[in-house]
Amino acid sequence: MNCTSYSRSLLISLIFLGILFLTGCWSSNEIDKLSVYVGVALDTGKVTDIENKLEEQGGRYPKKDLMTSTIQILTPQAAGAANKGGQSKQKPYANISETGDSLFEMIREVSLRTDKPLIGHHLKVVVIGDDLARNNNIEHLLDFFFRDNDIRPSCLVFMSSGRAIETLKSKSPDDVPAFKIAGIADNQYRISKILPPMSLGKLKGEMQSGSSFLLQNVISANGEMKFAGAAVIQGKTKKLLGFLDEQQLNGVIWLTGKGKGGLVKSFDEMMGRLITYEIKSMKSTIHAYVDGNDISFRAVIKSEGRLIENWTAKGAPSKNKFLRRAEKAFEQEVEQMIDEVLKKTQKDMGVDVLGFGNRLRIEHPNTWEKVKRDWDKTFREATVKLEVKLSIEDYGAIIDSSIAAD
Amino acid sequence: MISTPKDRITTPQSAVILINYVLGTGILTLPRTAAQAVKTPDVWISVIIGGLLAMLAGIIMAKLSERYPEKTFYQYSRDIIGKWCGGFISLLIICYFFMASAFQVRSMTAVTDFFLLEGTPSSAIILCFMWVSLFVTVGGINPIARLFEIIFPITIIIFIVIASLSLRIFEVDHLRPVLGLGIMPVLKGVKATTLAFAGPEIMLLLLAFMKHPNKGVKVVVVGIGVTIVFYLVTIILVIGALSIEGVQAITWPTIDLMRSFEIEGLLFERFESLLLTIWIMQMFASYTITFYGAALGLAQLFNKNIHPFLYGLLPIIFIVSMIPKNVNDLFKFGDFIGNSAIYLFGGLPLLFLIISGLKERKA
Repeated sequence: MNCTSYSRSLLISLIFLGILFLTGCWSSNEIDKLSVYVGVALDTGKVTDIENKLEEQGGRYPKKDLMTSTIQILTPQAAGAANKGGQSKQKPYANISETGDSLFEMIREVSLRTDKPLIGHHLKVVVIGDDLARNNNIEHLLDFFFRDNDIRPSCLVFMSSGRAIETLKSKSPDDVPAFKIAGIADNQYRISKILPPMSLGKLKGEMQSGSSFLLQNVISANGEMKFAGAAVIQGKTKKLLGFLDEQQLNGVIWLTGKGKGGLVKSFDEMMGRLITYEIKSMKSTIHAYVDGNDISFRAVIKSEGRLIENWTAKGAPSKNKFLRRAEKAFEQEVEQMIDEVLKKTQKDMGVDVLGFGNRLRIEHPNTWEKVKRDWDKTFREATVKLEVKLSIEDYGAIIDSSIAAD
Repeated sequence: MISTPKDRITTPQSAVILINYVLGTGILTLPRTAAQAVKTPDVWISVIIGGLLAMLAGIIMAKLSERYPEKTFYQYSRDIIGKWCGGFISLLIICYFFMASAFQVRSMTAVTDFFLLEGTPSSAIILCFMWVSLFVTVGGINPIARLFEIIFPITIIIFIVIASLSLRIFEVDHLRPVLGLGIMPVLKGVKATTLAFAGPEIMLLLLAFMKHPNKGVKVVVVGIGVTIVFYLVTIILVIGALSIEGVQAITWPTIDLMRSFEIEGLLFERFESLLLTIWIMQMFASYTITFYGAALGLAQLFNKNIHPFLYGLLPIIFIVSMIPKNVNDLFKFGDFIGNSAIYLFGGLPLLFLIISGLKERKA
């Protein structure tokens, strides 16, 4: 009896001891003692005012002013106050800029300026300014992000044709710009001028394969941002080569068939009035043909959609005839966009960012092995044939007399 | 000592032990090592070939053990090639199991320290891991089998869930063309993939504990078959998402696959910790069985009770696991173990099988 009560009390005390040690907080950090950073903007080095003043007082360390990284931190206190309906003038985020050469060093330098060190688990976007990307290898700039164990490969990468720091500023007190950029990237189903998001993980593959590729361009004016076209990165140098505008990016999306929604705007050729096509689906099939040393491609683009705007009102001929004519007008519009982007990338810039090399790799692997080293150059000479087929399936909730009068 | 009736395991239990042993480090690194060797998207074919080779080796070992019911390799090797030679080979195999267990512990620490518990001293992680394992192995093969029976379904369910979630970043173009550059690249990868299937050697010991030792071949076929599916799904998903070029540059590609997407609206947004959970359980299983294999070998070699050997091996494994100085050393250590597995279990069992067959005919 005595013995069992003794062993029972021993057991109970052991359990309590166990609870004490099982909390599993060996190297824990309280979340409110940390700064969660959600966005990083990289620009050419331009020492900020505050940094200048700090350096004057002796806050210096050996470095080159290669780039300025702006780190966007969430300030939950401010966000919470705003949620409760308090008249908080404070924004839900704060930007800290550091100038230097090593990204890791800059991030750790922040720990000298704030009591809450940075943690990278929630980094959502990285924006690179065009000046920096034109003169520096992007793979080097992003190496830290690829390597770090906190930062996830799901973080998205963007380019800005202005200074990247501007894209992390917003006028509205409710927005966190980093979240907004990541959110806009999800709007592919609304408009065909957004590239499929490029995550760090996907980017690593692009870097390794050595092919040229596109990054979404984000611009900002007066604290308002916009997705505007795409940046062309050359595979060989991993540097920024130039930009495609919105219309050209639209051509890219059509050619690659990566769009999930959007529109085509055109004018009826007989009346010169505006007609608009809503994209329901889009499909692109590209085939590669090798004939001796000649490489050619044939792209067939098919789409189904709806006539969503029609200003031609009355006087139009019978319905199917009109629809054919409208389809033709839209097809021409799409062909024109694709021709333009082909001319710009293939002839002017001399790079393949449209996935033709990928098709050649899949369909003619042996030829690809021969040409892949200098593919951008070989691609310049390749011919691309185009076939676009758009079909209007319906015309919305209104039957125009012009369409239905058959 | 081992022939007490309660120390028997059923056929499904044996298959589960085999599966849990084979699935280990391979899940996290196989996509990279195989992609580096093959360099074309045909890696998955190498995985199938590698798996079939391992299955063949496993069948030979099961056939060999079948000839000596109720005896482990440590015991019957003496009958085949004599006391001293058999003892020597047994010692090599003990060393193999022992090194393998040190390797499992160390790679488990390397990954947890990087992705999960940064800052926690590795000795703290290793010691917990080893003590729990000791607790299981002291009970003998039956508790081990029952523990593995719990681990196995959890692994399967979580694996299926996270694998299907990762389909959202899957691109079929990354897996094409099939055999674009012929069969040669595929064959170059076979060695790397066969190494990932190291594990059938456990059949040399396991058969002695089975209720129906004549089902050994079936255990090997089912066990390796399941792991082939596991590895195949993993490698197809990883390469489909990260591309053959990307995979070659990533240290732990399967974890990066899980880190490459976030899902909003579900209970969790991030799934790498789930993958790490099942992976750590698999590492625990592999460690436990190799640890037990080594201790059992020593016990049978010296004809003593297994307990002192279990306790005695513990600190030695800990020290050996601390020898690799960096990740490169760790991978080299892994390669070394893999290579010794090929020498020890690729040819030897067949030789033993032939010798024992000849002896039988003479007698």
